[in-house]
Amino acid sequence: MLATSKLRCQLFVPNLPKSIKRPATNHCAAGSPSFIGKSKACSARVSAGEAPITFPRGGGKDGDDEGDFPFGLRREALPKHVAVIMDGNGRWAASRGLPTASGHVAGYKALKLMVELSCRWGIRVLTVFAFSSENWLRPKPEVDFLMTLFENVLKEDLRDLLREDIRICIIGDSSKLPKTLQKMSTEVEEISHRNSRLDLVVALSYSGRTDIVQACQKIAQKVKNGILHPEDITETCVAQELETSSAVGYPYPDLLIRTSGELRLSNFLLWELAYTELYFSQSHWPDFGEDEYVEALRAFQKRQRRFGLRTAL
Amino acid sequence: MQSFRLPWFVRLVLRQCWLLFHLLFSIYQFGSHFLQVIESYIISLGLLQSYQNLQLHNLRHLAIVVDSEEARNTLMVKELLHWVSKIGVNYLTLYDMEGVLKKSLDGDLSNFASGMTSASQQNRMIIELLSFADSKAGVAKAASFLCSKYQNDELASSSKKEPALTESEIDDALNAVGCGGPDPDLLLIYGPVRCHLGFPAWRIRYTEIIHMGSLKSMKYGAILKAFYEYSKKQQNYGN
Repeated sequence: MLATSKLRCQLFVPNLPKSIKRPATNHCAAGSPSFIGKSKACSARVSAGEAPITFPRGGGKDGDDEGDFPFGLRREALPKHVAVIMDGNGRWAASRGLPTASGHVAGYKALKLMVELSCRWGIRVLTVFAFSSENWLRPKPEVDFLMTLFENVLKEDLRDLLREDIRICIIGDSSKLPKTLQKMSTEVEEISHRNSRLDLVVALSYSGRTDIVQACQKIAQKVKNGILHPEDITETCVAQELETSSAVGYPYPDLLIRTSGELRLSNFLLWELAYTELYFSQSHWPDFGEDEYVEALRAFQKRQRRFGLRTAL
Repeated sequence: MQSFRLPWFVRLVLRQCWLLFHLLFSIYQFGSHFLQVIESYIISLGLLQSYQNLQLHNLRHLAIVVDSEEARNTLMVKELLHWVSKIGVNYLTLYDMEGVLKKSLDGDLSNFASGMTSASQQNRMIIELLSFADSKAGVAKAASFLCSKYQNDELASSSKKEPALTESEIDDALNAVGCGGPDPDLLLIYGPVRCHLGFPAWRIRYTEIIHMGSLKSMKYGAILKAFYEYSKKQQNYGN
């Protein structure tokens, strides 16, 4: 079964050093990223959602900092494109007696950590499932909070993202987003489009099926305009019209990580995940920190070692 | 510059520690695998109450992906089908990338009834065999079908409508070109890689995916456990 297979992967890798936790005070305040001390509801373990995160200043490009590269990982065998379904913010908050909004704030900090680590280790593309088309059916206060959070994140972190040479792409049905967020997203994409260190693709109001439908729609438009004949439509034509292909240079993820122990894709990147290694982590998303990320990459590399010599199909 | 070398006895101690560490991990790994085998055996014997009378009402459709190399072992695949049929699955989709299962099993599936007597014909297990040709290429065919249909409708009616596709039209088009089918509730993957190997993407948006390991080490108890754990799942569908 999957969980045991995952455990076997962990134990097989030798020479694991004692993991270094990021030093931080526990954070249990609701709705605020600042640190105000412990409370009884918090666990002692420091999670990604609880640690202070800043983007590194003056960091090297493409993971030049060898001292920070995790022991046991091979840089040349890292996935080029990692996709993440960030699940479990609500459950994380509920387990600590906090409101759901705190879970989302903690989740945002876990995302920042993952972006930082991806930059440092030379991952080229990071695609994150921030808000699905089904999430619109959640309670309105939660949806409004999330929209506000997304807008604030884009406003506050833009300078850091630009400094770190990160390109932002937003995919999904933007017509449903608030007008201010739509405008902010367009501006951020335009300002960052020349950056090249990391492509951060954020799926907002996204549905994998809707992406396939809109690709077929564009193909139908091309047929209508006489650019394409119906008999010339191939899977390559469909792939080229998907939102992910226009956004990034590596459209197909090598590794998908889903947190919170759920074992499904939930309508995320359906077309693109055909040959993607699927890694399901038991941690909730705010608890997904450096250790968990290294474990996922290690599991990916173990698969790579066994099957790297197979001929491509 | 002189290179620093540890004294020989320190190197010896470190090496012994490393070997002991490796031995402990190997024992742990062996023990873990052994416990898993015992658990599967106990489950398959029906000794655990919770695995008897599995409630499969929310498992209407099961899909199994098999690595093409492993799918060449037709005997093991048939045994797997027999187990699944015995448990009471009504609709099964079998997939392998290269179409090995289509070649080896097509026309040879008449023996798999859905755990009922042969008198109960309506309870026979429906088995669908798929390969990569039914996957992404299927969506391309559906798109081509829709575009042709749109062109013909336009010519017939002389009205220049903008093409406006919906999910249900893609569904209908997939059915029309022979690449449609129900969405699996549960997908079991047999093979060395934890990847669905191109299973039709349109159909797996809410499908639970479980990697079962190699087909060579498949166990009846592991399948029962997967079904049991699936029966306990609750999906919010993003709400």
